[in-house]
Amino acid sequence: MVSLSHRRRALPLRGFGYFLWEKRWLWLVVGLGAILVALGPPSGFSPAGYGALILLVGAAVLFVTEPIPAPAVALLIVVGQVLFLGRSSTAVAQSLMSDAVLFILGALMLSVAMVKQRLDRRIAALIVRVTGGSVVSVCFGLTLVSGALAALIGEHTVAAMMLPVAITLVRHAANDPAQIRRVAPVLLFSIAYGCAIAAIATPAGAARNAIVLALWEGFAAPAGDASSATPLAQPTVDYVTWVLYAAPVFLVLAPLIAALLIATFRPRSADFADAVAAMKLQLAKEPPMGGRDYAVAGVFALTVVGWVMFSGAFGYGPVAFVAVAFLLITGLVRWADLNAGVNWGVVVLYGALISLGLELINTGAAQSVASIALGLLGTLGLDDGLGLTAAIAVISAGASNIMSNGAAVAVIGPLTLQMAQGAGESVITAGFATAIGSGFAFLSVIGTPACTIIYSSGLVRPGDFVRAGIGPVVLSILVLVFMAAFYWPLLG
Amino acid sequence: MSAEHPVAGPDLPPLRGQAGARFRILVCIDNSEESNRALRYAVRIGSGTDADLTLLFVRPADQGLETGGMEIAVARENMLSWGLELPGKNALNQARDTLIELGFLSPEWEAQSRHVDVQGDPLGDYSMEYEGGDGRTICLKLAVAPTHARGILEECERSEPDLVIVAMSEEREGAAGKITRQTAETVAREHTGTVLVARELEESHGHLVCVWDNPESIQAARRDAEIAGRCMCPIHLFAVAPSEEERSSAETAIANAEAAIKEAGIPIFGKKVMVGEPAEAIIEEGRGYSVIVMSSRSKTGLRRLLSASTSLAVLQNASNSVMIAR
Repeated sequence: MVSLSHRRRALPLRGFGYFLWEKRWLWLVVGLGAILVALGPPSGFSPAGYGALILLVGAAVLFVTEPIPAPAVALLIVVGQVLFLGRSSTAVAQSLMSDAVLFILGALMLSVAMVKQRLDRRIAALIVRVTGGSVVSVCFGLTLVSGALAALIGEHTVAAMMLPVAITLVRHAANDPAQIRRVAPVLLFSIAYGCAIAAIATPAGAARNAIVLALWEGFAAPAGDASSATPLAQPTVDYVTWVLYAAPVFLVLAPLIAALLIATFRPRSADFADAVAAMKLQLAKEPPMGGRDYAVAGVFALTVVGWVMFSGAFGYGPVAFVAVAFLLITGLVRWADLNAGVNWGVVVLYGALISLGLELINTGAAQSVASIALGLLGTLGLDDGLGLTAAIAVISAGASNIMSNGAAVAVIGPLTLQMAQGAGESVITAGFATAIGSGFAFLSVIGTPACTIIYSSGLVRPGDFVRAGIGPVVLSILVLVFMAAFYWPLLG
Repeated sequence: MSAEHPVAGPDLPPLRGQAGARFRILVCIDNSEESNRALRYAVRIGSGTDADLTLLFVRPADQGLETGGMEIAVARENMLSWGLELPGKNALNQARDTLIELGFLSPEWEAQSRHVDVQGDPLGDYSMEYEGGDGRTICLKLAVAPTHARGILEECERSEPDLVIVAMSEEREGAAGKITRQTAETVAREHTGTVLVARELEESHGHLVCVWDNPESIQAARRDAEIAGRCMCPIHLFAVAPSEEERSSAETAIANAEAAIKEAGIPIFGKKVMVGEPAEAIIEEGRGYSVIVMSSRSKTGLRRLLSASTSLAVLQNASNSVMIAR
């Protein structure tokens, strides 16, 4: 291997026209934003609230159209808060960091550490040993095991770990492109959808859960008094409470979605028996788990225990940081690996979005938009109770299918929570409906991290997501509404 | 229809292959059947010992947001640790096998791999360069870029190929790395050199070279003639007059192009003048040919972006391959 002599360089000036064209959505957002600012706020909106809303809508358009890197959107949000909302630079900087952001950061670093340990071989060996060569049991095994793990260590972690397992099975099961097209989708979607629905089960499952935790803190003031809301120092929903609400949704959905996938793709058992046998042989050559593997797995188990026992007292982020610090001190993971594996710009983006979301709440802009939205939902009879919960789930799922679900929750979360408060409903229920509904982004490549990761394999097409996802989306929303109607009330 | 007023074509810098320098072809592949056909056509054009071939697969860079803040490189590295190849490498390996099957590449050729990190992604850009004893080089490249179009255009800037071939499948969707219709159109519009957008590319049906009475069009015709001459593809000249009054201008264009091409020693197999709406007439006439060849007057900047040219209309609406010759 030798290094290339050239480095990547920007297009020269003669491509200026192309640059303008490529960034057209950015110019559109900036232009429309300037016009809206010049027009001034409509009645019901404070100038700061109106500015925050313009920033939020602009950010949402930029997430969907992607004319600029996502971290650049974060920087523009920060600048916008200073220029258009009249916040001091220090106040904006302070609002960027919260326990939710620390939690996301710590969980991401733990994820990278887990993937680096090659624990996926052990998990794969467990799956093929338990499931045998039956295609149905392999798919159920992938969905349930991926899901159970994703709930604990995050959907992106498990998708990254399980992707090679599925591809190896595909390689053993199929040779020609037609066979691969028949076999690959069912295996890959078993992993992706298992991860996506499981990521709702615990706060650590996905970044969107941490964002909802942060938004709940913004609604700590008594109902109907959002304008005086003051963020609390500690989360309003601890780890155990979250699990009690959300984990049963995963447990009900997992087998149903696995069955739907099998019914959709109808894989043949003949394709799998030999593949599973070949994979067993391959995994038998792997060395047994060593002390290092046990240590990392043990640290993660203790982290989960820490979240369960101490998240109410100390927050989620510090617990994760203790684990990461321990891994670094003991040399179980290198900083270079964490540095390369975590996209720091996205962490800043989550911080900026949470900060902007709280601005929407505190300036009353969320309240004004929520009133309008409730009026529209009222025409459909969905402005309170179970109807509102269902509407929030549908809105969340819809938004997540057109932008990443973390961004979707940050964008719509302040509004859905405010809608619930405006309707006199539980903000907690609305938060769960938002977080869980955003996990139902089964229809697009970018909806959930797990979907993006399986798409990177090159073995599934965008159309496969629509074909595979329609049934699970409808089913998932129905199950969520069912749980909201009959199970969540039991929790008080 | 014969030309009555032959006029010598304008001065044209010779193609690299003819000037003694290497003739460089860049083929953008995406693992589709269309890109496989495009590769075979490139081999035909590159036959001989004076052509170098680069195959490019562009992998869009991870934005990070879609993967929840974890770099997708983590997943890719994990795939490699299982001994699995990344999607782009698969496509390049298949293309390499096709070249060996066609006898354009020999497994005995000396190979050298190169690698560079991109945006912190250790899997980054990758290339495998083969060098034959006859002086030919074949390079397989995997590049990371913000978008497909950007990746292809950057490679064009870097290697300045004489011909860029972009396979554009009519399939409306594809796996990761698929070259979309928008990407192909962007490359054809933005690249300052000659671009062949390969679509349902069937060999041996010849090139329909569409000409206008302007120097750029005559240059483009001669440029295509030289490329067509490399693959022994028959050339047919075609001019469309928007009205009967402009027929003489179209005939002059044919005559000028014929003179320029014959001056280069390349035979012409047919010529035709029609009256009608240019884009529609060209698309209809071009159905029976392997490639419709169009010229582009604006080479740079905003003019090209804003010009709703006939070339662009043909590119967007034809059902077969279109070459924008510059």
